[in-house]
Amino acid sequence: MQLNGSEIIAECLLEQGVDTVFGYPGGAVLNIYDALYKYSDKITHILSSHEQGAAHAADGYARTTGKCGVVIATSGPGATNLVTGIATAFMDSIPMVAITGNVSNDLLARDSFQEVDITGITLPITKHNFIVKNVKDLADVIRKAFRIAMSGRKGPVLIDIPKDVTGAVCEYTPEQPRLIENPLGSEPSDFEAAAKAIAQAKRPMIYMGGGIVSADAEQELLAFAEKIDCPVATSIMGLGGFPSSHRLFIGTIGMHGGYETGKATDNCDLIIAAGARFSDRVAGDREKFGKNATIIQLDIDRAEINKNVFVDYSLVGDLKDTLRCLTDAVESTKHEEWNAQVSEWAKRSSVTETPASEDYAHPYHIIETVNSILSDDDIVVTDVGQHQMWVSQKYRFEKPRRWCTSGGLGTMGYGMGAAIGAAVANPGKKVVLFTGDGSFHMNLNELATVCSYKLPIVVIVLNNKVLGMVRQWQKLFYGHRFSQTDPHRKTDFAAVAEAFGVKGMKIHNDSDAEAVLKEALSQELPVVIDCSISPDENVLPMIPPGKTVDDMITEME
Amino acid sequence: MENKQIISILAHNHPGVLLRITSLISRRGFNIDSLTASPSGIEGYSRLTVRMSGDDNQVEQFINQMLKIVDIKKAEVLPEETSVAMELILVKVNSDGSNQNDIISLTSTYHASLVNLGEHSLTFRASGTPSQIDKLIEELSPFGILEMARTGIAALQNGDNCLAAKK
Repeated sequence: MQLNGSEIIAECLLEQGVDTVFGYPGGAVLNIYDALYKYSDKITHILSSHEQGAAHAADGYARTTGKCGVVIATSGPGATNLVTGIATAFMDSIPMVAITGNVSNDLLARDSFQEVDITGITLPITKHNFIVKNVKDLADVIRKAFRIAMSGRKGPVLIDIPKDVTGAVCEYTPEQPRLIENPLGSEPSDFEAAAKAIAQAKRPMIYMGGGIVSADAEQELLAFAEKIDCPVATSIMGLGGFPSSHRLFIGTIGMHGGYETGKATDNCDLIIAAGARFSDRVAGDREKFGKNATIIQLDIDRAEINKNVFVDYSLVGDLKDTLRCLTDAVESTKHEEWNAQVSEWAKRSSVTETPASEDYAHPYHIIETVNSILSDDDIVVTDVGQHQMWVSQKYRFEKPRRWCTSGGLGTMGYGMGAAIGAAVANPGKKVVLFTGDGSFHMNLNELATVCSYKLPIVVIVLNNKVLGMVRQWQKLFYGHRFSQTDPHRKTDFAAVAEAFGVKGMKIHNDSDAEAVLKEALSQELPVVIDCSISPDENVLPMIPPGKTVDDMITEME
Repeated sequence: MENKQIISILAHNHPGVLLRITSLISRRGFNIDSLTASPSGIEGYSRLTVRMSGDDNQVEQFINQMLKIVDIKKAEVLPEETSVAMELILVKVNSDGSNQNDIISLTSTYHASLVNLGEHSLTFRASGTPSQIDKLIEELSPFGILEMARTGIAALQNGDNCLAAKK
């Protein structure tokens, strides 16, 4: 059938099973929005307040569903506003297709109004990108973009489409997407070698990452961990990929991980890294990470092998298949003594709470209370900073895809958009955004979106009135010189919420927390809770950058 | 071990593919000596030949990172002992006339040919392996090299082996 470029975009989105897109209209995408008007019974478009919010929403949508997120923006500033959202998705391997309009072919390269070279700009933060200059190529490029985003190590792909292409007519023939297969990149002998190393280990541990969630390999990991009976530590990205209540789970690893995960890393004789990339926030000292251990790395991306830490064995391929084969190759074993030793380390409580106060609530108390009210199916989103680390330490995730956080890029302002995407994708589930006053100030404009769509998101602003994480580093490493981290803002977040048409509430201290949280979470409406916490709360324990558990900070003045 | 390696790449000749490759090289901090791009003789594909410095792990990283570029179909090391690698140089040497014969006899041992004669200079064309070219430059240096241009490396595997376009 004969369709114009914009209708072809809509048809190709439907081919891929897309029923929801996020975006913001503009001059160069007028044709696309006209098609979205026509297809509005099949494709729901969520309008954000700012393109960055739409990109983060597509990301939150993808993280909580496993599907590819889609975001649409106009040329020029619309496209550049997506950049932070695309980079966030890229660092965390989140599948996303970003569609940007551009000026018409005849205006390209003339510095036309709202023209920008977005393929050039996004080259290092996408898996691949395209500019489609001929409508005949459009359908195949869109199909290819989804395929790239969803295959291998997932990630964002951008398609830039000049305006004349969105209006030009050509023949469109529907096509069913081909099944994506990720072949195993390892030989049976590789599995045998890895299994032998596992059999020889007396003190093995698993270090899992976001790859487990991305590959939907949580069942395979569970079976493997139980068969070899060893502690499981996770990166921030892996949270939810292994049940927190499981006897083998020992929490997060790295800069703000527990004492026991640090000790286990240093004392184990084998590390099995599964879908994790030894980032500097985990392996602060690359040379000393797992210094007494043989390392086996499982990853779908061959380029991750030996990138940050040298490993002894590697298994490349989809984690679901890889873990299944590895589980078959290993003998069932017990490591009672080693597990008992790790539990012993875990008893050493390394955090001293600040004294109770009339004026402040404790972040851990707030997080634990929310945890006790929500079910395992509900979704927790964070922004970036101290609150993010507290949630990663305390919240007990039992299932994957209930957790959205910017792990790799560390994007302050990520949370509002991501929470919107999560809420749109998961009607019926509660979505809680933990944020800080710094992060929330960045993108609270999206409260307008939350209000428009009546999304029942509960935003908890852990408000210490300072830029807490940077301030903590200034305390530790810059002689208490609080350069630009104490902004003396007077923002009343509850009143701000009300002004947007969203219910605003306040928590003053621990004693009123439970009642307020219960009330907020019992409503099917958006709520913002301004929760007062002390500016002197720190995230502890902490391994300073470039160091190991031996240098762990457990107390600060 | 830090050494020089030649890597041969087959890439779809889509617009921007060279930019993707150079951007990756710069972003990941790879240390390259030369990069040449040319038609490969296989329709729709270009051949890129990179000479880089690095240990074995860096070379492996380079190849694994290159293979993540969607437009790249193949990237392989061409080991010195099983491949032929050549480059071409144009070099303009300072000459006051009196040493002209010395220069010509030196360059003739490298099979370099005189392509242009200036008032105070001689321009030669030579081709050979990168190390032969390095050596020629070294020997011409005392006379004073006014300027030179090297093409970078063209390299293929020995015998019947080919870097096939199909993955």
